Amino acid sequence: MAQTQLAILFTSIALVVIGLYSAIFIDNIIKKIIGISFIEEGANLFIVAIGYKAGGVVPILMPGMDTSWFAANAAYPLPFGLVLTSIVIGASTLAVMLALVMVLYKRYGTLSTKVMLADTSKQEEYNE
Amino acid sequence: MLDFVLMVIIVVSAILALIQKDLLKAAILTGFSGGALAVLFQILLAPDVALTQAIVGAAIVPVFIALAVKKTQREDS
Amino acid sequence: MNELIPLMVIVPLMAALIISAFSRFNTVTKIFAFVVAICLPIIPLASNYGLHYFGGYAPMLDNVTSVMYHPAITYSFTFLQQIFIAMIGLLTFLVVFIYLTKYKKISGPYLFLLFLGTAAVTAMLLTDDIFHMFVFFEILALAQVGIVAASSIDYSYEMALKYMILGSIGSPIMLLGIGFLLALTGSVNITDIVAAVHNGLVDATSPVFLTSLGLIFFGWLYASGLPPFHTIKSGIYSKAEPHGAALLQSFTVISMISIVLIMYRIYSALPIFEVLVVFFSILAMILGVSLALTQTDFRRMIGFLAVGELGFIGLGIGLGTQYAITAGLFQALNEIIITALLFIGFGAIVNATNEVDTRKLGGLLAYHPKVSLMLLIGGLAMAGVPPLSGFQSKLMLVQASLSCGFPEISILAIMVSIATFVVFVKTFYAMFLRPKPNDLELEGKSVPKSMIFAMGVLLIIIVLLGIFPDVVTSGISNFVGGIL
Repeated sequence: MAQTQLAILFTSIALVVIGLYSAIFIDNIIKKIIGISFIEEGANLFIVAIGYKAGGVVPILMPGMDTSWFAANAAYPLPFGLVLTSIVIGASTLAVMLALVMVLYKRYGTLSTKVMLADTSKQEEYNE
Repeated sequence: MLDFVLMVIIVVSAILALIQKDLLKAAILTGFSGGALAVLFQILLAPDVALTQAIVGAAIVPVFIALAVKKTQREDS
Repeated sequence: MNELIPLMVIVPLMAALIISAFSRFNTVTKIFAFVVAICLPIIPLASNYGLHYFGGYAPMLDNVTSVMYHPAITYSFTFLQQIFIAMIGLLTFLVVFIYLTKYKKISGPYLFLLFLGTAAVTAMLLTDDIFHMFVFFEILALAQVGIVAASSIDYSYEMALKYMILGSIGSPIMLLGIGFLLALTGSVNITDIVAAVHNGLVDATSPVFLTSLGLIFFGWLYASGLPPFHTIKSGIYSKAEPHGAALLQSFTVISMISIVLIMYRIYSALPIFEVLVVFFSILAMILGVSLALTQTDFRRMIGFLAVGELGFIGLGIGLGTQYAITAGLFQALNEIIITALLFIGFGAIVNATNEVDTRKLGGLLAYHPKVSLMLLIGGLAMAGVPPLSGFQSKLMLVQASLSCGFPEISILAIMVSIATFVVFVKTFYAMFLRPKPNDLELEGKSVPKSMIFAMGVLLIIIVLLGIFPDVVTSGISNFVGGIL
């Protein structure tokens, strides 16, 4: 079923586009961060879809399976291993970003990016 | 058939999360998207990835966002 | 002793974890960090060249197609890796030394970040596996953000968050590019991918291959701070502590050359790749120098000059001949040392005066003669004045672009060098030579001895590399001949 793989490709592209849109155009910093996590999910979904084999089996060799049949039918496990790492990296990046947001909220009292991340060189001149 | 339903859930809840006024609802909808993605990974023959994604995407990420929202402010102004 | 190859990554990584876990014991942690920092430059110098397969999975030969497959994560260690890892180890040692002598009560997390960054760039240089490179690229981004956020300078958190948001857009895009390559070749080992491309298993003109180039190229632009990311990159240099900034710029240079060498090996068949690299490098050179002219904050000025110097490295690699790539890599090595010297030196001035605005400074030559002399030599080396090391590499670059048939590029490179010289001399005059403004308080503040020691060590390397460039260039040239 190439149909499933094609649909997954479109889903992952949709996630990446939604994420990019929100990361660039939405003002609220927490929504920006949510959008960034969608970009990561889209990339992960795409890589998992590479390893998928329509009508295949899970790439775990159980006792009693014929090795040559297994080699011909199992999905490709290398991308799955990569995605495991990538998911954990995404979660840790998200945690660090949210921690920085929490610190900055104490200073500014708002979540708006325009106030929080305005051009810092201009702020310095303003303070002087 | 289930996989197409899941894809629709992922995309729709992602869009819904970004147009919410209430950030706590946005966090919960992020969890929806992550959880549906976990089931989709299971259908795509990757049970190990599905387990990790179920924990990270459906539990840890929404909880982190909800904690950040609790420490800051709830409405998107 | 090939067992030392994985230790180059494992030692700083383990040291980082141990230091952050036991940072309560102040004295013990200090001694431990010092010992590990001394070990970092020694390990690569003591190790033999060779390959290391993690898990011991040696490459397999497919008897039907007679193609080699590499199932394990492979570290390859050659002269290029040796010289760069030794240099980054030396720099880490100097930075940790400055940090340890500056503060009585050390912070475990900060040392953790310094060692983590060193481990990450070491792994990026060594690895022959594109996903492994991506993982350490992400770890490096986290470490850089941490180093910036940990500084006590105003607005460092804002800059760290900005850099992080850009980074978390850039790195999934790079991951998508790696995914495209994986879909095309079924492997993440770079040697396997290169073999697949060169044997014609992958159609080099297919849109998927071109898209993967574009996506990975975007990640590279972010990692190396070339335009359009030059503003944020110079921003994070100016918001980090001076010794942290010295290390941050070396991380940038190393991640730039390690990613671009990987891209060069995979995409060198595509003519558009070299055009792209040369285009963005020239843009970085022009923008970096012209923005540096307008700055009044001298840390920001050095940051933009560092971005401009990155353009020279990219230029050498984009030209694509053996001589040009050797020149580019030699320029990378020089830039690590020279920019570190400048950051530490200007950091010493900040330490002594608490002032970063060149308009409010002056007459420092009489108060800090050693620092100003070393800074002058460093700046001249960056501008390419003979016989210092920057001159040798820039001369090689100009010759390389002439022999490739691009005299325009060599003229441009010379003009950018002259502009760098002008920027530096202007700042140097404003800070050290002109009469001291009346409201500037200078009494009773001295420069830490450890900073002068670090600058002296870097200065000796600059002079030695300027007089004997063949020690490095012949080895790099052999390496480049191997990947062409």
